[in-house]
Formats: sequence, C-alpha cells, structure tokens
Amino acid sequence: MKRFCIYTLLFFVSIAISFAQVDRTKYPAPGPAPQINIGEAETFTLPNGLKVFVVENHKLPRVTFSLVLDRSPLLEGDKAGLTSFVGEMLMGGTTSRSKDQIDEEIDGIGGNINFGSASASASSLTKYQDKLLTLFSDILLNPSFPQTELDKLKKQAISGLASAKDDPNAISSKVTNVVLYGKDHPYGEFETEKTVSNVQVQDIKQYYDTYFKPNIGYLAVVGDITKKDAEQLVTKYFGGWKQGEVKKVDWPVPVAPEKTKVILVDRPTSVQSVIKVAYPIVLKYNDADAIPVKVLNNILGGGSTGRLFQNLRENKGYTYGAYSTISPDKIVGSVSADASVRTEVTDSAVYQFLAELRRLDEKSITEEELTSSKAILSGSFGRSLEQPSTIASFAINTELQQLPKDYYKNYLKNLDTVTVEQLNGIAPAYIKPNNAYIVVVGNTGAFKDKIKQFGDIEYYTNTGMPAVTTTIKDANITAEVVIKKYLDAIGGEGKLAAVKTFKSVQEAEVQGMKITAELVVDQTKPIAVQTMKMGPQIVSKFIINKDKALITAQGKEQEAPADIFKSLKNALTVFPELNYKKEGAHLNLDGITKINDEDAYKLIVTTSEGDKITNYYSVSSGLKLKSESATEGEAEFNEYKEYQGVKLPALSTVKNPNIPVPLKMIAVEQVINPKLSPEDLK
Amino acid sequence: MNKSTLIKGAMLIGLLGSTSNIFAQQQIKFKEFKLDNGLTVIMHQDKTTPITAVSVLYHVGSKNENPTRTGFAHFFEHLLFEGSENIGRGEYMKKIQGIGGTLNAYTSNDQTYYHEVVPSNYLETALYMESERMLHAKIDSIGVETQREVVKEEKRQRMDNQPYGSILVEVLKRAYHKHPYQWAPIGSMEHLNAASLAEFMDFYKTFYVPNNAVLSIAGDIDYDQTEKWVKTYFAEIPKGKKEIPRPTVVEPKRNQEIRDVVYDNIQLPAVVEAYNMPRKDAPDSYALDMLSTYLAGGKSSLLTKEVVDKQQKAVQVMAMPLDLEDGGLFLFLGVANMGITADSLELAIDQQIEKLKTNGITDQEFAKLRAQVENSVVSRHASVAGIAESLAAAKVYYGNANEINRELEKYNKVTKADIQRVAKQYLEKNGRVVLHYLPKSDQKK
Repeated sequence: MKRFCIYTLLFFVSIAISFAQVDRTKYPAPGPAPQINIGEAETFTLPNGLKVFVVENHKLPRVTFSLVLDRSPLLEGDKAGLTSFVGEMLMGGTTSRSKDQIDEEIDGIGGNINFGSASASASSLTKYQDKLLTLFSDILLNPSFPQTELDKLKKQAISGLASAKDDPNAISSKVTNVVLYGKDHPYGEFETEKTVSNVQVQDIKQYYDTYFKPNIGYLAVVGDITKKDAEQLVTKYFGGWKQGEVKKVDWPVPVAPEKTKVILVDRPTSVQSVIKVAYPIVLKYNDADAIPVKVLNNILGGGSTGRLFQNLRENKGYTYGAYSTISPDKIVGSVSADASVRTEVTDSAVYQFLAELRRLDEKSITEEELTSSKAILSGSFGRSLEQPSTIASFAINTELQQLPKDYYKNYLKNLDTVTVEQLNGIAPAYIKPNNAYIVVVGNTGAFKDKIKQFGDIEYYTNTGMPAVTTTIKDANITAEVVIKKYLDAIGGEGKLAAVKTFKSVQEAEVQGMKITAELVVDQTKPIAVQTMKMGPQIVSKFIINKDKALITAQGKEQEAPADIFKSLKNALTVFPELNYKKEGAHLNLDGITKINDEDAYKLIVTTSEGDKITNYYSVSSGLKLKSESATEGEAEFNEYKEYQGVKLPALSTVKNPNIPVPLKMIAVEQVINPKLSPEDLK
Repeated sequence: MNKSTLIKGAMLIGLLGSTSNIFAQQQIKFKEFKLDNGLTVIMHQDKTTPITAVSVLYHVGSKNENPTRTGFAHFFEHLLFEGSENIGRGEYMKKIQGIGGTLNAYTSNDQTYYHEVVPSNYLETALYMESERMLHAKIDSIGVETQREVVKEEKRQRMDNQPYGSILVEVLKRAYHKHPYQWAPIGSMEHLNAASLAEFMDFYKTFYVPNNAVLSIAGDIDYDQTEKWVKTYFAEIPKGKKEIPRPTVVEPKRNQEIRDVVYDNIQLPAVVEAYNMPRKDAPDSYALDMLSTYLAGGKSSLLTKEVVDKQQKAVQVMAMPLDLEDGGLFLFLGVANMGITADSLELAIDQQIEKLKTNGITDQEFAKLRAQVENSVVSRHASVAGIAESLAAAKVYYGNANEINRELEKYNKVTKADIQRVAKQYLEKNGRVVLHYLPKSDQKK
C-alpha cells in the first residue's frame, strides 16, 4: 500500500515536472550554432577563354547553365535602348530556326532559355540537357536578327515609354539617374522615342559581334551534373565560339553635389509623392568598407527593422514602407533612400529622411542595432545557400568584382568582427545629408514652398529633361512680336485673312487600324463639320456653329454639353492667332523653353472667357511647335508643308487624356478656300 | 485511342530520356503525427542546409467569415503578429529577424498561412513562438486599432492604387452569388471598423485552435527531438470547444454570361474572363491545370503565340486556375496592346479557345505539355519552405500529405482528349463572367 502511494506520488511529480519544463516567459535557448558549409565550385577554362564553374547538386534532376559577359558599361547615346533589344533579338531566330521553332522546341522539353545583352541562362531537367544546349548554343552562336522582330520590339518599347510617363516610380528613377550621373553617362542616359527609333538591325549585329566573346564570359553550370559531364558538354557546345578582343572603357566618376538640391517633377494627378534621397559615392565591392557599409545600410533602412521604416511607417504612419540601399559599384556606387508618402506630409517626410541621415552621422549606433543587423545579414546569407546557384554566383562575383579568393568563405567571420566604433567612425564618409539630391515626383504645387527649405529647387519634366525656362533678355520681343513672326512664317496676315473656307483630311494609324479625321470649315457662316472614321466607318460627326454643336455618334444625335461645346467652338477659327487682339485675349510671354530640343517662346493665352491655352513658337523659324490646354490636351506640330502659299502642319502628334496613345496625324489633303456645297456642311 | 496516345507518349519519353532518370517523381519523405488536441504535425528532414522552415496552416479563410464581418481572416493574419501574453508588441518580427530568420504570412479564401525560416539551431524558438500564437495571442484594442490602419494602407497600396489591382474583388463579387467566395480576403473596411473586441476574441477562439491547424516543419531537423519539442509547446493548447463553421452552401452553376466594365487608373485596357471550375479535389483539376499551361504557359503556348506574338493584340495573356476548395474559377487576364480595344482582344482570346474546343490538340502539343508539367512538378520542391507548404496543403485539402508525391502520377493520367474535353466542359461562354478594364479617362465620355 505504501509502495503504491509512492508510485502515485512519483507519477504525479513527473507529470508536474513535464509541464513545469515549459517556461513560456522567455525564449528557449538556441542550440549550438550550426556549421555553415559553403560548397566549392569546380572550375575549368576552354581554350577560347570561356571560364566555367560547376556546382554539383543532385537533389533535383535538373541543371542550369548561366552565362555572364564582363563588359564595360556602354554609352548608347542617340541609340539608347539598343542593349535592351539584344536579348530578344537573339531569341528572335537563328540561321536554321525561326522564332516559332525556338519557342516550340524550348517548351517541348519544358525548359527555359533567356538572353540579355550581357547575360543568358538555360535550364531544364537533366535528361534534356543535350537538347537544351543545342538550342542555347544555336541562339548564342548563329543568331539571324530578323528585321520583323526588331520592328515589333521597337513598337513595344515605344508603348512602354508612353506608359512610363505616367508612372511616378519610373519617372523618379529616370530623373534620379540623370541628376546623379548626367545624361551622357552610361548610368544616367535613358531611351526616348527618338533614340529607340534610331536603332537598326545593323547596330544589334555590331553589338553582338563586339561583345559576345567567350574570353569575357563566365559560365556557371549548376545542378544534377558531374564536372566530367559538364566539361564534355560545354566543350561540345561552346568550344567553337570564336574569341576576340573586347576593349575596356573607363568612365568619369560623378560626384555628390556640394550642397543638397531639391529636384521636383510635377505630376498634378498624384495623391502620393515618391521621395528619393540619393547621391553617388565611391565604394567598390572589394573595398575594406564594403561589409561594414552593408551593416550601416541595414541599420538605416535595410528592412522593417531599419530606422527609416520604424520612423516613417511605424512611428509617423506617413507610408507603407521606407527603405534605403547602398550599392557598391566598379565605377561609381550610390546611396538611395526612398518612400511613397501622402502628398500632405511630403515636406515632413523629407525632414525625417534628412534627420535620420544626420542621426546616423552622430555616433548614434547602438550595440543592440549592430547585433540585430549582423543576425539579419548572416541569416539571409545562410538561407541563400539553400539554392545551389548561390555558390555559382559567388564564384562568378569573385571574378567580376575582383574579390579576395576567400571572400565568401570569410564573409560571416568578417561580418562578425564589425564593431559599433567602426560603424560610427565610417558613417560620415558615406552618409551625406548635406550633399544629396532630394528627388520628389508629385503634385508639386501642394508642397513646393515648404520644400525649398531643404535646398535650391530645380524642375525636371516627366521625360527626364530639365524643365528650364529662360527669361527673354531682348526687350523688343513681346507677345505681339512672337505672334506676328508666326503669322509671317506661315504666309503673312494678308494671305491668312483671305482664307474663308478650309478643308483638311488627316489620317492616323493605331495598330493597323486607320483613323481618318475630316474637317470642313466655312468661317463666314461660321460653321465647321468634323467627321471621324475608323476604317471606312463613320464613328462620329460634329456639326459646330456659333451657339451650339450637334454630335452624331452610334446613330444618335444630341447637342454637345456646354463644356464640350466650349472647346469644339475653337474649330470655327482656322488661325486663332489672327483674332487674339480682336477678341480681347490676354497674352503673357513666359520665357524660352525647349520643345523637342528646339528653343521656343512660351505664350500663355487667356481668352476673354477665362480659358488658358499655352502655345510654343520656335525662336528660329517662328512656327508654332506645340499647343496645350486643359480641355483639349496637347498637340505637337512636327512638320509643316506649304499649301497654296500657306504653311500648315503636315504631321502632328496629338495627346489627350481620352486617348491612351499619342496619335500621329498625317495630313493627306489640305485645301485653302475650297468650294463648299451645302452638302459638305451637313 | 487514349491508350495508344499514352503508350506513344511513354515511348517518346523513353527515347528522349537517359537511363538514369525516369519519368517519375522524386519522393518527399515525411513523418506525421497527431496530438490529442487535434493538431496535425508533419515533419520532413533535409540536412543539406542548416535552416528549418516552420509553418502553421489554419484552415480559415475569407469563406469562413460572417457576411457582415468580411476581412476578418486577413485581419487576423495582421493581428497575430502583434504579440502574445509572453511576446511583447512588435517583438514577433524583431525576434525572428534578430535570430537570422525570415517570416511571412498570407490569407486566401480558404486558409491563413504563417511561416518562418530560421537557422536550424533556433527550431525550438520558432516552435515556441508559433505555440504562443495558437495558445494565447494578445488581442486588445491597441493592437486592433494599429492593424486596422495598416490594413487600410495595404488596401490602398495593393488594390486602390495598383493598376488592375481590384480584379479579384470585382470578379468574385460577380461570379458568386450564394457562396462566401463572393468577397475577397481583403474584405470590407466598414466591417472591420464596426467589429467589437469581443467579436475578434470569438473569431480567435473558434478558428485558431489546434484541431483546425496543421503544423509542418521541414529542413535540418532531428525527427525525435522535433517531436519532443512539438509536444512540449503544443500539447497543452486546449482543443477548440466550438464547432468550426464551414460553408455548406453550394454555388449554383451559372448559366448566363455576366459582363461589366470597370474603370481604373490604367493606360492599357484589359479583359478578364472567369469560368466555373470544380472543387479543388475534383479529378479534373489536373487536366484544367494542364489546360492553363497549354493556353498561356511558355512562349509557344496558344494564346501567347497567337494573340501576343502574331496578332500583337495583347502585351500579355495569362490563364490561371484559381482552384478553391469549394470550386474556384478558371481566370483569363489579357492586357491589350496600345490602341487595341477590349472588345477586339476579347474576340481574339475567344477565337483561340473556340479553336481548341473544336480541334483539340495534337500529339506533339500534348508531348510538349507533359514535358512542361514534368519540369514544373520537379522544380516545385526546390526549397524547404516550399515543401513545408505543400505538405500542409495536401493534408488539409486532400486529407493526405502524401498526395504531393503522387502529383506526377495524377498528371500522367490526363489524356490528350481530356484537354479538349475540359476546355469544352468548363470554358462555357454562358457561365462566365467577362470584365473589361478601361482607363478612367474613358468614363467621362
């Protein structure tokens, strides 16, 4: 009986202990830190100079081949956009395979092949590796560069550029690069519709002939493959690749501004401001400071534990996220901190950005921040090793960035030796709140006065050009003179005043669909009839006279609402400049600005009804280059031709909030004083 | 007919394949056990990298919500990072990152999923933290208020401000009329504003219980030690006392086309088409998945080649089976090229679908399709985090974690004729929802 009792007691106690073991008030102690093994890449070089790294990993039956070409950055100049086409052009066909065949054969083995201008990769299940390499090497060695493919790519690129003008993030990075590096630097240049149009097949070929050489190439072979097999395959498929000399180019190193500057891009439709604080720095991957700077950045804004995120999101609630990046680079590195914030808090957010940068320079880093950042960085390093491709990219980076051979082996050890004193010591060399560009894309009208406290303001356009307006020094140039010059340039007041009737037929093409716009005007009545056709079909007809306009569309006739009528009414006048004085319009000459690289007088016309129209007249030729207004959008007049002694736009580009694509209108018929029958005016 | 195709297919593969690799799936080994409180635990050992993924799948998604309290499941995903009785506010993320780990979570119509990947010596820490979340998360007014604001920001950023960001919301509300799939996980901000603390507590007690969860652990682990720790931290969590509400309503088959226009801040119009799909565990799921690859997976896929590449009517066309537990949607999304109208893009997509329904696919196309599927099945298990998620999902939706090892077998059963059959059977015009996304500027006209 007694014994039984003791047993019960023991049983009870042991249960109690097993529950008591869970001390939920504190975190369990970690086990001993695991050994992090960094696998080695095996390496060999082909006689043509192609350096190959092999990382065996048999976990999954697949293999990846990735190629990197080590070429200097390239200034594409008036053909900017060229390199962005190279990859797709290579995939566009070979001497023995069409694009369709290539696509079909890649999907046929369930594989993937991608090409860039200085890189390429191919992957598939190991059992298809021969087929994969047949395709990969055919694309690499025998490209045919079809013209049709380039035409398609250029079209897509131009669509992309049009969308980018509306995308605040795209605008921000474009303008940031321009101010940091300059438009004539490989890192600062950007593509425009014009530069993209300039690219020819011959340019792509020449690029390929110059840079696709094995002796500047690094090929990583990763996955379910042995070194022996890799060597045999690579020799078979890449052995015939001919080497050639590729020159290295040195580029100037842009420097940070002497004083912090504010760069504004106006985007009146924005509800959020995209803020970027950025400047160039000198920091290479193989600098001794590279690892400590990585820690520094992590503390500033590497993630959700960073100071920027904690301050601007967690503390102030200005944004969904605020981060920073410090990028080392062979030529010139950069520091960049950014966030998208509500328009109302733009200046407050900029203030906090600068305050955080300053605080980092004031020996404020704590032991706790350092420990946490080290853990974050070493953890992400450790996790990255799960993918076998990491080892290959370590091997390639070691070569490309001229890192010490044991850089990655010692990475964790070196990370661990970083101290608070060291960080506080180097911070001022890299964190420069007084030498930065503050780039803000947003509704600048709402904050431009409050933001000038941070530095002198410069305006840029959404296409990355400085929005400069110079003042006119010549006192003889007045609004009236500019208008007279324009009227003279197109035929002279006498001839223009004699124009009673007018007919114009213009065509535009949208993805193979022809749009025809026909305008017939009798200024004496006055009456104007505007017909829009899509193909042969009439889609809309406007009959406009002095007090009203009738719109016929989709078989329905209705009177135009007042606000639309107001802008339709302009069609009654062929040359509005003739009447500005007579109608009491207010003219304001607002300096000289650039329209497509041409100097132009900017003239703001306020009609007696209070509508504002801005016209731009060429300083050299006097011709009207552009006209814009809130109601009618904008029109650029790209080319003039003479019709019966009067110069009229023969090619114009029309942009309007209601049409997604700029329309290129080509005049097919323009007649001065045609005989108009009553039928024409119905 | 079917048989001969299969044999031909097998022969083709046999000829192409080397002897060392067979057309079979690599097996993911795992151990499974269940605690008395109903918690299912699945473990997979892979010692190649010293990291471990820990995840908990709660079988609660937006479909389990009260129609007047939508957005709760997703809201909880945020709330449960606020801390527990023992883990301070905001400490959850800091701790995981501070030990060199990473974490995330998501909510779908069917489930809420939490996961961490930590250095393997911190497995016990991760298990402790997940058990805290399940045992006694901190649900108080401060946490609720904070996360309400964060969720609103998230909605602004991801739906309201994102071009085409509202597609799921707009499609679901038109595609479902009876089933709670009619609202998306983001739910309604008004509902969240109106909810009381007691309601949040009640939701937690109903759904965040061990008998409604699967804990999966994959990576550099010791099976015995892991099981011991799991018991230490999870065994004491009481089993849920309430019945777990699951929708029983069956969405009636739609038999009339629904079409609508949505105006958004976009440049290029888009076309969305949504067709009826069977339940996730229906046998046709595999054929439908292959159908989506045939239509839009890879550069030579039907829609990509014809509509994007040749006709240049779209910049992109996607086909995505949204395979939900109670029956999802087969979604098409096409973004028009410049100057192409939504009507003309819709016509182009429909013409290709009709072609497929009438002609079926060729032997060569079918062989290609199988190679693509094989590659994606093999590649799916490239990370321990992915494996942990697949195991948990298989257990919840198919009742058996081992289903992940039978995927290829299931795909292999699909015949060439099945592809045409499911296209005919499910891509029916009269049951679909069609949305045209148009630039906001068009709305004024």
